[in-house]
This record gives sequence, C-alpha cells and structure tokens, in this order.
Amino acid sequence: MAPAAFEPVLTRNAGNPAVLTVDGYRKSGGYEGLRKALAMEPDAVIDEVKRSGLRGRGGAGFSAGVKWSFIPKGKGKPKYLVCNADESEPGTFKDRLLMEKDPHQLIEGCAICCWAVQASTTYIYIRGEYTHANAIMEQAIKEAYQAGILGDSVLGSGFKLDIYMHQGAGAYICGEETGMIESLEGKRGQPRVKPPFPAVVGAFGAPTVINNVETLANVPHIVVRGADWFKSIGTDERNTGPKLYAISGHVERPGTYETAIGIPFGELLDLAGGMYRGGKLKAYIPGGASAAILTADQAHLALDFDTMTKAGSMLGSAAVMVMDDATCMVRSVARLAKFFNHESCGQCTPCREGTNWMELLLTRVEHGEGRPGDPQLLRSVCKNMNGTALCALAEAAVGPVDSLIKRFPEEVEQHIRDRACPFPRRRYFENGAS
Amino acid sequence: MSEPTAPAPATPGPAGSTAAATAAAAAAPREQPGWSAAAQAQVKELLARYPTREAALIPALHIAQREWGGWLPDAAIAAVASALELPPAKVYGVVTFYDLLHQHQVGRHRIRICTNLPCMLRGSDEIMETVRQELAVGEDEVTPDGRCSFVHFECLGSCDTAPMMMVDDTYHENLTPERVRRILRELD
Amino acid sequence: MPKVTIDDRTVEVEAGTNLIDAAFKAGVHIPHYCYHPRLSVVGQCRMCLVKVEGMGKLQAGCATQVMKDGMAVRTDLPEVKEAQQGMMEFLLINHPLDCPICDQAGECGLQDYAFKHGVAFSRFQFEDKRTYPGRERIPLGGNVLLNMNRCIQCTRCIRFTEEIAGTAELGFFHRGARTEIGTFPGKQLDNQLATCVVDICPVGALTSTRFRFAERVFYLDKRPSLCTGCEVGCNITIEHRRGAIKRYKPRFNPDVNDYWMCDYGRATFERWRDLPRLSAPRLRQTGSGPGVATDPMRPRPDLAAARPPAPPAPAPVSWREALDVVARHLRGRAAEGAVAFLGSGFLTTEEAYLFARLADVAGTPHRSVAVELGPERHIPNLQGGLRGSEAAPNRRGAELAGLAPTTAAASDAGPILDAESLLRGDGAARCAVLVVCDSDFGAAAWDPATVERLRRARVLIVFGWADSPLAQAADVALPVATHAEKDGTFVNVEWRVQRFERAFPPPGQARPAVEALSELLARYDARWANLAAPAVFDRLAAELPAFAGLSWHRLPATGAALDVPAARAFPEPHLQAPEDTAVGI
Repeated sequence: MAPAAFEPVLTRNAGNPAVLTVDGYRKSGGYEGLRKALAMEPDAVIDEVKRSGLRGRGGAGFSAGVKWSFIPKGKGKPKYLVCNADESEPGTFKDRLLMEKDPHQLIEGCAICCWAVQASTTYIYIRGEYTHANAIMEQAIKEAYQAGILGDSVLGSGFKLDIYMHQGAGAYICGEETGMIESLEGKRGQPRVKPPFPAVVGAFGAPTVINNVETLANVPHIVVRGADWFKSIGTDERNTGPKLYAISGHVERPGTYETAIGIPFGELLDLAGGMYRGGKLKAYIPGGASAAILTADQAHLALDFDTMTKAGSMLGSAAVMVMDDATCMVRSVARLAKFFNHESCGQCTPCREGTNWMELLLTRVEHGEGRPGDPQLLRSVCKNMNGTALCALAEAAVGPVDSLIKRFPEEVEQHIRDRACPFPRRRYFENGAS
Repeated sequence: MSEPTAPAPATPGPAGSTAAATAAAAAAPREQPGWSAAAQAQVKELLARYPTREAALIPALHIAQREWGGWLPDAAIAAVASALELPPAKVYGVVTFYDLLHQHQVGRHRIRICTNLPCMLRGSDEIMETVRQELAVGEDEVTPDGRCSFVHFECLGSCDTAPMMMVDDTYHENLTPERVRRILRELD
Repeated sequence: MPKVTIDDRTVEVEAGTNLIDAAFKAGVHIPHYCYHPRLSVVGQCRMCLVKVEGMGKLQAGCATQVMKDGMAVRTDLPEVKEAQQGMMEFLLINHPLDCPICDQAGECGLQDYAFKHGVAFSRFQFEDKRTYPGRERIPLGGNVLLNMNRCIQCTRCIRFTEEIAGTAELGFFHRGARTEIGTFPGKQLDNQLATCVVDICPVGALTSTRFRFAERVFYLDKRPSLCTGCEVGCNITIEHRRGAIKRYKPRFNPDVNDYWMCDYGRATFERWRDLPRLSAPRLRQTGSGPGVATDPMRPRPDLAAARPPAPPAPAPVSWREALDVVARHLRGRAAEGAVAFLGSGFLTTEEAYLFARLADVAGTPHRSVAVELGPERHIPNLQGGLRGSEAAPNRRGAELAGLAPTTAAASDAGPILDAESLLRGDGAARCAVLVVCDSDFGAAAWDPATVERLRRARVLIVFGWADSPLAQAADVALPVATHAEKDGTFVNVEWRVQRFERAFPPPGQARPAVEALSELLARYDARWANLAAPAVFDRLAAELPAFAGLSWHRLPATGAALDVPAARAFPEPHLQAPEDTAVGI
C-alpha cells in the first residue's frame, strides 16, 4: 500500500548526525553544489533554478528562479538574501527539521543563491522560539567560516559572503516577506505597501531575495543533479521536485515525510500510519491555517500547488492537519480565528477589525450563543476582508472560516439551533497517562 | 500601559516555607541589574552585523531581557533605546509587538503551552488544565515563590510531537499530564 | 506629464502623483483617513480603495501612482462602494457612540464618511466593543488629550511626531485589535507643534484641552486670518461665535506655514478674552508731567510705597473730542520737548504707515517699533521651514512703512528716542508728547516699571485695545481693534506681505487704528480723510519701493514676496528678551 519508496533528497542526511560538521557534510557530497555554482555564470545558475520549476516552499508557491531574476544586475547597490526561517504557520515544522538535522544544506543553498544574485550578505531570520535550531545553525556557520566556505573568499573564489542568524521575537506576521524585512530592520513587523517589491526595495532599501528554508535547501541538489532531474520528480512541469509534508493531528505517526510533490492525501495518510486510533477521517487542511478545509471525499486529491488551488484550497506550506469525525469543526475554526486575531499586526482596518470580529462571532457560535443570521454575517465579513487588506493575512484568516460555512453548513446550523456544541468535550488522557 | 506586578524575590523561597514567609520574600524588591560588560560587548558585536543601528534592536532586546531577569522594565527599554540612539516610544512599540518580549514580571521559568489546532487535536486543553492545577495560579500570573509563570501560546512548530510546551529554551514534547507534572516539579 | 482618467474625467498630473491627489485635481473626492499629503504613505486605513482598470483587486489610491498615460480609475463602481461600506462598518463596530459628548462631532471623519459611504445600521449586536480601560482621557502633554477608545489607528499622529515635528514621542504599541497609540510611559508630547496632531486626527481620539467642550463646531463662524504670535505669520482660521473666539486652526499656505501652526500661536487669542477691554476713548483731566504734587491721580514715586496710587477717574469722551485733544497736544507742545512716536510690532502695515505719516506731520524723527522677543518657533514647510523669534507679527512691515528711525534724522536731533530708550531707559522724560500706537507690545504694558518710565513723558497718548495699566496711566486712551476686528497686512519673517480681513466688529467704541489715524491726519491734510486699510495699502505700495507693483485687491492668497534688497535695509531687532514671554502658554 505504500508507494515505491521515494529516494530522499532534502532529508537524506536526517539520520546522520555526522553532517553537522563541515567534514561530515562534505563526506556525504555536501558543498559540491556550491563549488559547481561558483564555476558557472550567476545568470546561468538563475536559469537552472528557473528551469527546474522550483516553487517557493514557504506558502506562496512563487517560482524561485523568477524571483531571483527580478534582482537588478550591476554593482550599484548591495543586495541581500533573507532566508525565511520564521516558520510560524500552524501545522508546519519541516524547516525546523532541516535546520536541526542538516544545517549545512541550508547554508549551501543560501550561498548558491547569493552567488546567483550577487548578494554578499544573508540574514537567516529564524523565529525566536527555535533556540535549539538557532544554536545548531550558529555552530555550523561558525565552522563554515573556519573552513573558508563563508567570509572574504568563498571556497577561494574571491566572492565575499557573510551569513548571520537573526532571531525573531514571536510574531507570525514576520513570516510575511515585508513584515520580515521590517522586523529585520528593528521595527514592528508590519508589512509594507507593495509595490515597491523587495526585489527593488527590500532590506535596508536594497534589492532583496526572500526565500523559505526548504526552497533554499533544494538549490544545491538542483545545481548538482540538474534541472531535468528535478523536473522528473513531481506531478507535471508546474509542480516539480521533492516536497516535505508535515502531517499532524489525528494520525498515528505525525511527522515530516518527504515524497515527490503531488502525493495524494490518502497515500500520505497511509505513510503517517493512518488515522489516530483507527478513527474515521472527517476533514483535512492541506496547507496551513489559511488553507480551505477539504473533506473526506477529497482524500484522493494530489497535494500539489495546482490541484489544491483547483479544489478551492492551497498547498501553502504543506502543513497537513487531519481531523477525525469526533472533531467539532466550529471549534477548530474558532481556534484558528483566535490565532489570526492574535497575530494580526493591527495596521489595517479590515484585518484588525475583521479578525477580531470573526473570533468573537465564532466563539459565540461555538458556545451555543449563535444567532440565525450568523453564517451569512460571517460570510459577509469574509467578503469584506478579502482583497481589501494591506497584506495576505486577512485573506488567510478568511480561508478556514469561509470553507467552514461552505462545507459544514449543517454543523454550524446545529450549533445555532441546539444552542450548544453537539460534540462532547474530548479527553485524550486517562487520569494523566497517555 | 500595564504596570509591572510585584517583583519576584532574588532567591527562591525554601520548600515548605509558610505562606507569610513566601509573601514577604515576594514583596522584597529585586536588585536592579543593568547592562553587564559581557552584554554590552555582545551588543557591540551585534552592531557590526547590520548597516543600521536600528536593525540590532531585537537581538539587543533579547540580550537586555536576559540581563534584566527575564523581562523588560521601562528602565531596560530606556537603556536599550539610549544605547541604540532610538526614540524610546519606538523601542516601546517594538517590545509590545512581540510575544517573546515581556513587559511585566515573569517567573524564573517561563512556560508556553501550545494550544493551536494540531495540539488542540491531541489534548492541549488537558495539558493547560494540568499546568493550571499544578501551579495553582492563573494564566500569565507568577507563582508566589516566583518560580513559574505560564501562558498558552500559538504554534511552536512541533506539531508532530503534540501536545507540547516550551519551558524557557527547551521544548518538551509528547506530553501527558503525568509527564507535565514531573517536568514542573523538577523546576527549581 | 501623464494623463489619468478618473470616473471619465481626464486630468494631467506630474508623474508620481498618487490617485487621491490626482482625483482631487479632477474634482473627485476619494475618501481617506491615513493619507496626508505631508506624511509618508502607509496605506493602512483602506478607505481609499478604488478600481484601476486592468488590475484585479482594488488598489489603495494613496499608494498607487500615475506614472504614464492611459491609467483609468473608477470610484463609482458597486465593488468600490461595497468596499467603502465594508471599511466603514469595520471602523464603527468598535467605535464608541460618543458623538453627544465628543468635541469632534461636526468635523469628524467617521461621521462624514459614515454618512456618505457607510450603512445606516449596525450588525455588531451581540459582541462587546473593544475598549481601552483607563485610557479615555489621558493628557499627552502639549495641549492634547487622548481618548483611546475613539482611535481608528490611522497613525497620522505618530507619523507627524516622527516626520514633521521630528520628536517621535508617539508610538504604536501592542498588536492586532489591542493596538494603541501612546507615549513612552512617563513621557509627554514635548514639541511646539503638539496640537497639530489634534488637527490631523480624523476622529475625536486626540482633542485639544483648551477647546474641550468649548463649543459645538457647527455653531462656529470661520474666518481666514493670520496668527499674531510671532513674525512667521502662519495663516489661520479664526473660529468664533458672535465675536467670542473659541479657537484658532491653521490654514494651508504652502509658502508660509504649510498645514501647521505652533501651540504658542494657538493660545494668542486667549489674552483678548482674559484681559479687560478699552471700550471708549478716555481723557485725564490734567496733562502735566511728574512732579505736580497736587494731582491726586499722578502716582508719586516718593509716596508710592506709603500709599497705593488712587485709580484714575475715567472720563469717557467721544472720538472727535479725544482726537481734538491729541491734535492740540501734537501742535502745541513741540517747544516743550521731544515728540516721540512709539509703534508696536502688532501694527498692521497700513496703521504703521499712517502713524509714520502722523510723525511726519508732527515733524519728529523719534519713531520706532517696540517688539519683544519670544521663544523660538520653528514652523516646517517644504522649503525648509520658517523660524520666528519675535513676539509680534509685523515689526518688518511697521519699519518699512516708516517707523524705523533713519540715520539722517539721528544726526540732526541728537540720539533718537527709540523703543529701547523709551521702554528701558529715560527717554520718555525728554518727551513733551509720547504717542504709543498700539500698546500691545507685550508684557511691557503691564509692567509697572515700564509704565512708570513711559509716564515720565509730559503727555502720554496711548492707542490700545486692552485697558492696561499703560492705558490707565495715559492722558488720552484711544480704544482700537484687535487684529481679528480689522483689515490689514503683515510682513512676515521672510518679507512676505500677507493680507487679512476682519472676522467680526470691535466692541463698544473701539475702532481699527487705521480709521482713527486717518481721521486725525485729515485734520492736517484732507487727502488722508476716510481711508480704510485697502486704500492705505494701495497708497503705501505706490510710495515704498519694497511694495512696488502690489495692490490690496490683487494680493495673492498666499501672500506676495516683497522686493528683498529694498526690504533688507533695516537692522534686525536688538531688544533683549524679557523674563516672561509676552504670549503665555
């Protein structure tokens, strides 16, 4: 029932602690990509990454190579790479794995990207809560400097590159690219009006690439094995390469699984050991808190960018959250609404007020104080938030709420009609034991 | 702006002390720490990493928070503002924006329990309840001996080991109420 | 310059103009809160969302620029109107229903846009509004009071303190629905322009403590005028109810004060409210100088300590009678000593011109302008801003009009009895007649020592609006209008002449000094009869090289720059600043 075992790429070193050192990483083939890239023209590296079809693994799914090509050529201004290691999307924990288990893979990916766009500084913006991952990355960076992989002359090429870890301080909105830049610059993480886009005016006013950890981790492999190899993995030419899926919730073996992009959800569920305690699948969220909820009858869908978009949802960060049939959807979405309300930066009217209102409304419904007009009111609030806000958080907050009203209308109505939640409060632990 | 709650004592109350003794210890003002030489050197090194002084702010605030015993009183915020030549209101705005920067007293051990959806789907409610019962204080309050404070938190990126919590810099994963009680009792 | 079409109206604008400004030029109003032409664009309120042809989502007008031809914008589509209604609903759900007690009512951005772009009912029925307990009336320093419940988080005030005032006292604190504005704990708004945040706050979150509960704005008459707090000459609007001024607000003039004015200036009118008014001409019965022991009304320094001086017995007379006495003194006393004319920096250019002509007719070189120095004001504008350091608006105009002592005259008559020697020295003792017009040269008119020095003149004639100790000590006290009650021009620090017109008539028998001086001069030369400020200006423009080519009716709204080389002939003030400033705050 398991698919033909996928040859891991990004997680190939996950069980090998020796790769935490430069020597150990090199022994497993590491820094070959960087050596090869330095012998190529920067633009050739961009073309290869473009050709590979690598799409951003942080949630937006934008072509990485195209993003790199937006950086203006020429020596005029300094350029920056900011690696988005903020990973705060609920259900996402893959970047943490990559940093803790294979730090040099990320360093190599950053270095190749910097060579391609001719940036000489990388800031790896890591969420403040990831202290362990940060310590591992700091150590690996230190060793990379000692080994001449970073510093004034990368691998003796004359190319200067500095990589710094920069810790966040606890704010999901700093995962938004301009929110991240603001935070990096020492301010409140409030996203900026776009345009201008970061490729033109980014960190410190300079052209900046922002890429997710997993996106950059793919880059050494693309350079070593080629775009054609990368394209041979996946669903089609718009959905290519290996993908990490972080699956959690009501599954037996939650964890990070690497497969070719586009694995059907049902197969991923099997990889994760099937439903928790043999329960029945009710719904799953395929890509983080902002992805629309999909139902059990959609378990056959391939988890890639385009299939998910066509189904009315999104692949996003591929954070797959699974819910069994004892789960109250209203309660689940109310919790997500609480999350978005907490994380809204507060700048713009529709998000600041809308996420707050949605949490209040859903909490009311969840607690049996819903009114007959509430579902329509919720949809109307969603409509007023969609496409009107300064950044995508408002739209993200709309995702689960809108899909709740659309796909689980009877469950919502039941809460209102019965003036109570029909699902009994669940106990996961008997008297303290698991 | 919220005023700081009663300062925690400098030394932990002895186990088994009477309520009066612990209350008296809690009321004693804490020694005012300032920037240590080591911390100032750290901030100086930080400044070299960025093209602007302002960019060093959040890392500097992390350092300051450690210096000032786990939280940032107004004096600490003013000190950081002065060191980086930034308007105090701006720095105050940054401190209050982020969840890991505290403006009021926290326990010596800061407990953050994830209650977001994946953890909620695996019993985080019961973990919260266990912690609340075990520490016998409300959320965001400090235990009388100054040892612990707890809050619920958003996704900490460990959903595959749900339910989980963060105590200071350490993730405690795959929790059960029993495990939680053991972890809490071992905190000094 | 590129062309843009907004709701079928096409206009040409400079490349880089945002859609709100472009629409304004086309006569279309795009609603907005957070945008302000002088503050950085943040695109936060989302009220200015419009449809740009070719773009799927609605775009924020403030953040979208016209760069080349062909842009087509619509503000009248249903989706734009729905977005506006949506934003209004979002802003109102947590907004307190404070209109009955809120100063902003009648000039409130929420009221206005709710009426135009909102809906007439609320869907926020079963939830609790967000509040900020304890933050309903927080003094922020300056003259500003914060009610955080009313704030719509537009950040105009924060950006103002950072970008215009440069003091950055305000910040955005916390996050999400709990976001609030405030100062660092324990700190206050500490800049001269503090009350400007009240002007730019679209709602009643920031209000002026001096105007708190003073008047409903829809009962206010609003008249354009100029501030008299210093020589910058900020353009203002006098807002009054039947002659009782309730507040000043700045009026846009990109060449002078842009959108701003300082707190000192805002408070200047309060003196008129707080000080007693001279409402009828008044004569003393005797006209002798010091040393006449039998005069019960003359303060005797030797007796002053033993017995307080008796209050002068007022003798109200008609204007004609009073002016007759003045003319008699001017004609008859020249032989007894010097005749000195002391003007003030509060004179309009026209008044100063006529006053100087009167000095000509009296044949005296002793003329000067008294001005006190005040705290330094900085008013920002796009040309680097203006600085004021004098506590009066028109020393330059007054000196240009003829009140500056000329060097030629000095050599003939010995040292000129100027403001310095009269106010601080013994000059008045050498005066047979000392004419003061007007007595509003600051705190000096209330300072007993100064009054006593001026009183050493044998005959003291005072034009003034306040019933000050100086007016009370005068032999002839002539009630004149404050600047809100007359027409005139002031010449500001940059030698820009600006015109203003009266907001309301003067009380009692007070009249603009121009009228009184014209009547007085008419007794010497009928060509000076019945002149009002416009005619006087046209005359002085014809005579004085600095004003060449100008006329009252053709003066531009933002003022006219004078011919600077001609204007710069006069020295800067050398007076010492007094202990207390004239314009108290």
